[in-house]
Amino acid sequence: MLVSYPGPWTPFFGRLDAQQIPLQNPILFWTFVLVSLGGVAVLAAITYLRAWGSLWREWLTSVDHKKIGVMYCLLGIVMLFRGFIDGVMMRTQQAMAVGPRSPGYMGALHGYLPPYHFGQIYSAHGTIMILFAITPILVGLMNIIVPLQIGARDMAYPYLNAVSFWLTAAATGLVMISLFVGDFSHAGWVGLSPLTELAYSPGVGVDYWSWAVQIGSIATTLASINIIVTIIKMRAPGMTWTKMPIFCWTALSTSVVGLSSFPVFTAAVALLSLDRYAGTHFFTPGLGGNLMLYTDLFWIWGHPEVYYVILPAFGILSEIIPTFSEKPLFGYITMAVASIAIGGVSWSVWLHHFFTMGAGPGVNAFFSIASMLVGIPTGVKVFNWAFTLYRGRVRFDVPMLWALAALVLLLIGGLTGMMLAMPAINYTVHNSVFVVAHFHTMLNVVGFACFGAINYWFPKVFGFRLDERTGKRAFWFFSAGTFVLFGSMYALGFMGMPRRIDYIPFPSWRPLLIAEEVGIVLFVIASYYMIKQLVVSIRDRVQNRVTSSDVWGTARSLEWLTHSPVPFYNFAVQPHINARDEWAWRREHGRGAESPEHYEDIHLPINTPLPLILGAWTFALGFSLVWRMYWLAALSLIAIVVLVIARSFQDDPGHTVPGARIREIEASYRNGLEPAGAAGDGAGGPVAYPGAVASRPQDNVPARP
Amino acid sequence: MAWRNGHAVRVLRFAWLPLLDGCSQKGYWLLHPKGVIARTEWHTTVLDVVVMGVVVLVAGGLVVAFLWRYRAGNTLRRYDPTFTASLVLEILVWGVPLLVVGYLSYFSVKSVFATNPYDPLSLRHALVRPHQADQGLAHRASPARARTTVPGAQEAQPLHVEVVTTDWQWVFIYPQQGIATVDDLVVPVGARVKFDLTSATVVNDFFIPELVGEIDIMPGMRTKQAMIANDTGVYHGYSDDFSGGGFSWMGFDVRVTDHAEFRKWVRRVRAAPDVLSYARFGQIARPTINVAQRVSYFSQVQKGLFDHVIERVMAGKVYRTPLAMTENMTKPMKVRLIP
Amino acid sequence: MSQEVSVNPATAVLWDPSHSEHDMITTRTLGFWLYLLSDAMIVSSLFASYLVLDHRINTAGGPGPRDVIHPVTAFWGTVLLFSAILAYGAAMVGLKRGDRRIVLAGLGGALLLGGGFLLVEGRDFAQLALQGMVPERSGYLSAFYALVLYHGAHLVFGLLWIVVMMVQVVHIGLTPHVVYRLLNLKLFWFFQGFIWIYVFSFVYLAGAVHGH
Ligand code: HEA
Ligand code: HEA
Ligand code: CUA
Ligand SMILES: [Cu+2]
Repeated sequence: MLVSYPGPWTPFFGRLDAQQIPLQNPILFWTFVLVSLGGVAVLAAITYLRAWGSLWREWLTSVDHKKIGVMYCLLGIVMLFRGFIDGVMMRTQQAMAVGPRSPGYMGALHGYLPPYHFGQIYSAHGTIMILFAITPILVGLMNIIVPLQIGARDMAYPYLNAVSFWLTAAATGLVMISLFVGDFSHAGWVGLSPLTELAYSPGVGVDYWSWAVQIGSIATTLASINIIVTIIKMRAPGMTWTKMPIFCWTALSTSVVGLSSFPVFTAAVALLSLDRYAGTHFFTPGLGGNLMLYTDLFWIWGHPEVYYVILPAFGILSEIIPTFSEKPLFGYITMAVASIAIGGVSWSVWLHHFFTMGAGPGVNAFFSIASMLVGIPTGVKVFNWAFTLYRGRVRFDVPMLWALAALVLLLIGGLTGMMLAMPAINYTVHNSVFVVAHFHTMLNVVGFACFGAINYWFPKVFGFRLDERTGKRAFWFFSAGTFVLFGSMYALGFMGMPRRIDYIPFPSWRPLLIAEEVGIVLFVIASYYMIKQLVVSIRDRVQNRVTSSDVWGTARSLEWLTHSPVPFYNFAVQPHINARDEWAWRREHGRGAESPEHYEDIHLPINTPLPLILGAWTFALGFSLVWRMYWLAALSLIAIVVLVIARSFQDDPGHTVPGARIREIEASYRNGLEPAGAAGDGAGGPVAYPGAVASRPQDNVPARP
Repeated sequence: MAWRNGHAVRVLRFAWLPLLDGCSQKGYWLLHPKGVIARTEWHTTVLDVVVMGVVVLVAGGLVVAFLWRYRAGNTLRRYDPTFTASLVLEILVWGVPLLVVGYLSYFSVKSVFATNPYDPLSLRHALVRPHQADQGLAHRASPARARTTVPGAQEAQPLHVEVVTTDWQWVFIYPQQGIATVDDLVVPVGARVKFDLTSATVVNDFFIPELVGEIDIMPGMRTKQAMIANDTGVYHGYSDDFSGGGFSWMGFDVRVTDHAEFRKWVRRVRAAPDVLSYARFGQIARPTINVAQRVSYFSQVQKGLFDHVIERVMAGKVYRTPLAMTENMTKPMKVRLIP
Repeated sequence: MSQEVSVNPATAVLWDPSHSEHDMITTRTLGFWLYLLSDAMIVSSLFASYLVLDHRINTAGGPGPRDVIHPVTAFWGTVLLFSAILAYGAAMVGLKRGDRRIVLAGLGGALLLGGGFLLVEGRDFAQLALQGMVPERSGYLSAFYALVLYHGAHLVFGLLWIVVMMVQVVHIGLTPHVVYRLLNLKLFWFFQGFIWIYVFSFVYLAGAVHGH
């Protein structure tokens, strides 16, 4: 076509041929075998349980915000695990390939991964972890919690919500399939320019990366729109801005950041794709291109993106800490202001990612000061959490443990962030593993908050608790792993070790690299306990059943007002908001148990497979573009447009659940039963577990004085 | 001193030992700067860590103290859920960090100018007042008294080195001496060294941890760096920005010698048979991983080679990376060594 | 103990069963505004790219603004585009009156005039391409094509949308769902005019005036 690249091209298959499946690579081969076996096992299990029908009706086609949220979280957790495997592979390579005498296996000069494989692993790891693990988990949590906290029945656009999810899934699918068909980018999650240009990356790897992130960023932009409108438009009567739960504030702030920054990323990568497909010269070194333009555009998104993930994490901490301190959040107004301030300032600091590019000292100084300013609202948050503990009654349940450890990590990551923000220091540690340690500390704040949130809200969504004992073990091993691994990494930073190296030339770095490997072992144990926690909890779900609306006994915001698991209609009757922490307020004034007198009909949207189909065509679009199968790309594009137009012709009439039915469901909830109907109806609600309904549940919320 | 402050302090003092031991170990390069710029950078680091460390310890200390005091089991403590706002505290939590950031900003600006790669003020200071080389920021930043003289720093004419990176080697051109090397950088001790840098292919980053901080190297563009090395010795330099398959092997030794030895080295290079023309450069620039860390010398360099490389790259010259040396998984990587 | 509570807990209203559904149309248009905002961010990125790449050095010795920019052609395009917006405005008047025929006439006018704009722009670019001034030639041309044609692509999409809406007005009538789509399309269509003002002034006028 317009550009020249090495290798054959045929009209039908494009660049794809059988050789592109790297079967001769033992690592990929066995990964492929394992993943296929796993996939077959899952499919077989679904078939065995005859779950296809309900899976399709209640999950895959759902437009219920809770189910979409759960699917987002699941996707994110699976990808987190994939990212973790990448991490294990990278660490093991770096522990093995030390010094010129270290042996090489499986075609590598040193260690067991050749350079091009290592490059793909860290690029996939970074891309996956940030865009397809942490971001989906957070978007999922916002999806589940925000409508509940503001007393809404669903998101503002339930259908668009499903589309966002399936687009994210399509993008994730592209990243995953690159494991087995072709290869992934080696140019880092940032898409180092001009390394991503066709001249230096002639394979399909960069194309996989670029289409995956473009689709993913569009999906996240749409999700941000949805959350903003939901918060602005759908708040329950009486919920003024100052009565809104703090998590919603951070969700709002983060979505504004997402809405305004993700499009820049889309644009930057789209221009890069033009360079690769149409032969333009946006970011080429020659012929009038400007590679620094890419770097600027990328970080104009990239920096806000890291605050996009930290802000909801702050929101989560601000929900967990008051609950387990049995006290309202200290300084609510300043917390809200600080969230917005962080979002705002995040726009003016992007240059701190390339202080070393030779901008003048004035420019560097400006961005240095701007970066350090972010520390102020962040510090406000830390101190306010501390004062929330003050004169409280602090319990150390699993969610609280994760939250407190996140706080510690935030302090460490903040300290090192403030170091990086000084150009004179940055010159010595830029692009070293010191930076890697900094952002893993920070991103683990997000990870810890997510784990805390999962433990905290799980009973609300599923109606049973996660096992406490295994949960605590997972927590301690994960924390130990984090400190051992990234602690050693900071030290290596002071030794000057660069990031992204697959071969370590200096044996003096070996001891610390081995210490990092110890951290990996701790992580492996932690993930064993995490999976065990889930398995044990599902096994013991009947004992762990919760029937009260407030599992923790001291929770504060509105989501704890409705039943656990949340019925498909969220609230039987629209609650009226009287106080900032409405549920705590009702509980403390003895009105927590009151239920409405009469019930009215509830109108809900109808499930539809269209978002899933759109996602599938988007996947086809991305895949065909990667392989330059232009006919399929055109076909997919037409299919997408036609589907969107067709959908606009059939307005969703919705369906109505009669008030009498609601009364029935509510009554059985009050009798401590999980009503069968609440799960069914194809409209949402909890997962139904056979046995859970029949048995007599016990309320195992510990009594509090 | 420990004997005066009692047992606890003595324990603390010994607790530090492994850390110090670790630092004195070979390897913590940033902690043992051997150049004026690197030292300024390290002193800034110390200052920042101390200031931020105090703040972070206070914040963390508050958290830990409150956790301990107000744990649920501790019924002796007052439980007061109405304590949810306090104007004084709010002013403090916004005000104190603001002051700290102001304080740090002052040093940030100062140190930016001191280490500005294009015109580092700390080099100028080292030259103007050789006996006060560490005055100014560096001096204030750290209580540790650093060396006060930089031998030979008065030298008027700085040594000029032009650096071109290729996939994946370093070409060092000494225009004043009319010589060039691949993967070998030799500079005299105490002399001002000025670098001009560009890349023939993708972005790299020039870094010698013990001597000078990083500066990007970009194709079709020119960046600059300057340094003075205080001590003779062999240091390590490498690229610090991922540039493809051979990136991990993109290292070079920096040998800081006395002036006589430097002149001797120049004479040795001048005796080399090879000559660096643009055509010869094209051969070097073919993607090559210098696994064996081999160096090559060129007794002559085509005039204006550095600028010519920049111009050609701007005009669209690319040194393509073959499929087998990038992310491609289906073709085994072929490593091309220097003949 | 939750602060700011002025209601008496004993008598406070806990439920609001009569709370009506949220107004569908304003909810939809708010979301569409936000979409436009995100699109504006893409346009700003393209503008930024254009401004960065609009220097002599970025033409790589090839054609510069003076060679590729035809302000007079662009002026006629502008006239057509703004007439198309005016026509859409007429359709909105029809919508207020609930008169389907005026709506259809307005939409049809917008369709024709918008199509006219695309023809003018398309001819201009075809000529450039025939003269070898293609986006592959230099960074400057890449940025020029990307910015102007991004706007053009939006117009193509807008035309398609107008056709769909005409069909819906005929077949479905002015139901709330059709009305909110017409309102969103109005935002979209006016937004393209808004972007074009910037393209016309910063690319065409400025390019013709200062060149390189
Ligand atoms: C959110 C982002 C995120 C997260 C969480 C992580 C987590 C981890 N990362 Fe990652 N990393 C990045 C983002 C992230 N990383 C980015 C952006 C880069 C830069 C890429 C580039 O250079 O371009 C990078 C680079 C990077 C490198 C650098 C390579 C180099 O440049 O030299 C390394 C090396 O060790 C590494 C390792 C790890 C490890 C060991 C973890 C561990 O913390 C992982 C721990 C996770 C687990 C232990 C999984 C637990 C979950 C389960 C077991 C699932 C089941 C759960 C339930 C049932 C609830 N990462
Ligand atoms: C969630 C993610 C997250 C968060 C929250 C942060 C937070 C911060 N980051 Fe980080 N950062 C990343 C993720 C994150 N970062 C990533 C992914 C990269 C690298 C990407 C790549 O290159 O691949 C990066 C890289 C990065 C760089 C570039 C490094 C380089 O490549 O050379 C810099 C430089 O300034 C920086 C600075 C900061 C600062 C100043 C903060 C601040 O927000 C920190 C604020 C917090 C505190 C300061 C602590 C708490 C406050 C107090 C206790 C009160 C007192 C405080 C003061 C007095 C200031 N970060
Ligand atoms: Cu040139 Cu950055
Ligand atoms: Cu940043």
